[in-house]
Amino acid sequence: MSRLLAVTKVEIKLFFRNFYSVFFGFVFPVGMLLLFGSIYGNEPSEFMNGYGSMDYSVPAYSCMVLAVTGLMSLPLTIADYRDRKILKRLMASPVHPSQLLMSQLIVNLLMTMVGIFLLIFLGVVLYNVKFMGSLLPMLLAFLLTTLSIFSIGLLIAGLMPNGKAVNLVSYLIYFPMLFLSGATFPMQMLPDSVQTVAKFLPLTYGVRLMQGVWLGNDLSGYGLEIIVLVGILVVCSSLALSLFKWE
Amino acid sequence: MKVIKVSSLVKNYGNTKAVRDISFSVSKGEIFGIVGPNGAGKTTTIECMIGLKKPSSGSITVLEINPSKQRSDLFERIGVQLQEASYQNKIKVWELCQMYSSIYKNPIDYEVLLEKLDIADKRNSYYGNLSGGQKQKISILLALLHNPEIVFLDELTTGLDPKSRRTMWEYIKKLKADGRTVILTTHYMEEAEQLCDELCIVDQGKIVAIGSVAEVIDSCSLDIVTSFNSENEDLETLISSVDHVKGVERLNGTYNVYCSNERAISLIICLMEERKVSYTNLNITRPTLEDAYIKLTGNVIKEDGNV
Repeated sequence: MSRLLAVTKVEIKLFFRNFYSVFFGFVFPVGMLLLFGSIYGNEPSEFMNGYGSMDYSVPAYSCMVLAVTGLMSLPLTIADYRDRKILKRLMASPVHPSQLLMSQLIVNLLMTMVGIFLLIFLGVVLYNVKFMGSLLPMLLAFLLTTLSIFSIGLLIAGLMPNGKAVNLVSYLIYFPMLFLSGATFPMQMLPDSVQTVAKFLPLTYGVRLMQGVWLGNDLSGYGLEIIVLVGILVVCSSLALSLFKWE
Repeated sequence: MKVIKVSSLVKNYGNTKAVRDISFSVSKGEIFGIVGPNGAGKTTTIECMIGLKKPSSGSITVLEINPSKQRSDLFERIGVQLQEASYQNKIKVWELCQMYSSIYKNPIDYEVLLEKLDIADKRNSYYGNLSGGQKQKISILLALLHNPEIVFLDELTTGLDPKSRRTMWEYIKKLKADGRTVILTTHYMEEAEQLCDELCIVDQGKIVAIGSVAEVIDSCSLDIVTSFNSENEDLETLISSVDHVKGVERLNGTYNVYCSNERAISLIICLMEERKVSYTNLNITRPTLEDAYIKLTGNVIKEDGNV
């Protein structure tokens, strides 16, 4: 346990020393919040079913954060550690390299929470964003969405032969999800054809679930979203664990 | 006392036979070298010895531990530097030392090791900004954190400049002076000659020679070459008549005499003194490990380790 703590402490520092993780995980979502917040404000509108634009956007931008940590930071770091034989070096020590993967999961989960708190804090302070749900369902929705997206990242890292392939696949999955799932632009703004594509993106279901629970809807109204996310989590993580390439 | 026993080790990767029947044992406190070109099976052998690879057949014991079974017990007692292994680029040297210290039950103070390896001034530098030699110092340091009884060094000096390489040699000698057993692999014959108490030369997955440096060279019955300059043009017959002289040649005023036994050298010198033959630039070249390697395998290893 103390080993995991020591490794995790260092990995947190390394997260902050990685420009891309910090930029896309913290700076970019906050930038979007400020940009669209200053354009639309948070006045209740009919177009938004009586909610303010930012009430909708904060949970959506939260999905932006977890997409960065889960689909970029997590798989790219793991691939780098495998390519550069950092994992292999740990195999020649009393700990198993799975400890390093575990600490990567913890770090990215923590950093996701930091990024989301930052969004909520700024949303509340600047635009008077309201949280209309309750804490436990929100936490469940957050954990399910995050772990589900993380399991996709883990599977990419586990299956691809090297860092270049992981890079390519991560970008190919991350960018469409970022822009077409409703995380960046509200689904209502997107044309029908894109909305059809969005149905095949796992993050779409995360955005819907997070937004719904944030706005105070009951979890029971999101059966489809929960089934899709749990399904992805179970399939991807069991595949990743059984097929993971350590070298 | 033998601390490592490898018997009839075989390792196949699919149809590729990386190691075919290698056996040797290593005594406590010696520097043992596994010497050969790239692809000879050196790294595979070492990775089987530390339990990173499972042998296809054969048996290995390290400190009476079966490396493929009792991993974590073994790694508390042996230190390892792996070929091409590295660490996070953006990690600071002291953070890396601290993290690796936390892995072991009884780590020693890494600050002392930083001093010993003359790298304390880099403790706040990022690992990625270190030079090749400095990185290798860190890899030695991390292999020593738990005060191991045996240290495995896989191609420690490959890619280093000659000066850094010599610095590494000094550290390896210190490891031995501290009472540790060292297993190293290298494709530099000079390095093996300088460091190893015992060594085996491997070629295509097999041991072609094993013993001390002197024993391996002796086993090849290579000639000692004595050369000198002389104005006298007809010494060839005279010198050829000396016992143990196998050949004489004269090139541009320089005589090269090939002797199978070093006693021939003093006989030749006595003979020339007797006959008042004047000579200059007397030079005796003993066969090196490299000569032995060439004789044994018919190959020459290039700087990059390929044949």
